[in-house]
Amino acid sequence: MWRRYILLCFMGITAGLTITAMAQERANSTASPNSAAPAPAQGTAASPTATHTSAVSSAASDADEKRALRLEGEKRFRINCGRCHQPPHKFPPRVMAAAIRHMRVRAMITDEDMQLILGYMTQ
Amino acid sequence: MRALAALFALLLSTFFALPAAAQTQQNEEVKPVPLLTGSTGFITTFDGGKPHLHPIVTPLILVPIARRWLFETRATFETDMVQLPGSSAFHGTVQKEVEYAQLDFIANPYITVTVGRFLTPFGIFNERLYPVWIRNLQSDPLILPIGIGPSNASTGAMLRGGFKAHPKLNINYAVYFSALLTVPPVNSDRFAGGRVGIFVPGARLEIGGSFQHGLQDTRSNAFGFHAIWQPPALPLDIRSEYMRSIAGSGYWAEAAYRLSQVPFLQNELRRTQVVTRVQQYFVGENASDALLPVNTKQFEFGLNYYFIDGLKASSNYGRQFSVDGNKNVWTLSLTYRFVVPLGRVGSE
Repeated sequence: MWRRYILLCFMGITAGLTITAMAQERANSTASPNSAAPAPAQGTAASPTATHTSAVSSAASDADEKRALRLEGEKRFRINCGRCHQPPHKFPPRVMAAAIRHMRVRAMITDEDMQLILGYMTQ
Repeated sequence: MRALAALFALLLSTFFALPAAAQTQQNEEVKPVPLLTGSTGFITTFDGGKPHLHPIVTPLILVPIARRWLFETRATFETDMVQLPGSSAFHGTVQKEVEYAQLDFIANPYITVTVGRFLTPFGIFNERLYPVWIRNLQSDPLILPIGIGPSNASTGAMLRGGFKAHPKLNINYAVYFSALLTVPPVNSDRFAGGRVGIFVPGARLEIGGSFQHGLQDTRSNAFGFHAIWQPPALPLDIRSEYMRSIAGSGYWAEAAYRLSQVPFLQNELRRTQVVTRVQQYFVGENASDALLPVNTKQFEFGLNYYFIDGLKASSNYGRQFSVDGNKNVWTLSLTYRFVVPLGRVGSE
């Protein structure tokens, strides 16, 4: 009887946590603005000034994209590593590459998360 | 059984036949270097007033091979030193054990194949929270021995992986088969089982379940649930497990709060973590030597201090209640995680 009661309690807590998480996830998605980098301007003019502007815009866009990737990598690093232990400091790139492969297996980090974390930790 | 094996083989071949574009693209600019890592600790326990000194060293060797292979092995050297009657000196013998030695092949983004001796993925504590530098409280959960085999490990093969099932949802899984091995300390039971977990990154919540079917003796089943939640707004870790088997059942729930949001003494308090855990164990039909012989309840309260990355001091007090008598359990420990590259670390 006790065991059934505990099992029911556990299932109830699990269901409660799931509902909370889903509600929180929904609230986050509606509250936060779209964080994607703005799309590059689609200029049609072919003048040198326009070309120069386009190149500067493209470089700025690349920098924005790198920055977004770095921020996303840091976010994934905190979320994934912090699930089990205190997120470690940065290690040299080759050390980090071995560690992240180990974590890929041990903590079952997704391929995408692994790439983003590795990118962040080796920059 | 044959049909099951055929179905399993078909499933495997389907996954391995995924297009090359889906294969793992390890960052080609960074070649991983073999590592000697692991942890060391000195743990002092006063169990019912009886002191135990427990030095432990757990080296872990990682050898990445080519782009998709990894050999990993972890050993433990530890001793439990106690005072013999009539003597004030502490005595103990060093216990040596290869906890696991496994070869991993990252077949594609969805599957990693593991063979050898591996930590049994039943619940989360044994596989992910066991090392002394990771765990928040140094004492093991009372239900830890349930479902993980006689030496905490299995000998056989395992498929595992983690993938994004939805933009806001990751799934991780492990299915395994373990063969009977009767050579201590690397003995293992014959069983098959699996674990699946759902991780919601936005809410930082993971919930999952484990199942195991014994293939020897009583051929009994065991199952469990686990949950990890780190509310994004708070430096709080909540973890919990429930397990049930023919040998016993029980649960533990732990909350660890980092005092980084306290507005004073920030340099000290951001390194400080308070932990509390409640757990309960119920004896099953078939008693196991690895588990307690009587129903037991335990409350613990701990304090951790993180000096630098990897170096941690911990203390905790616990009160255990059982029909064998109630007792206090005090623990003090100092743990350190080390990372030593076994090669040049310059980028290649």
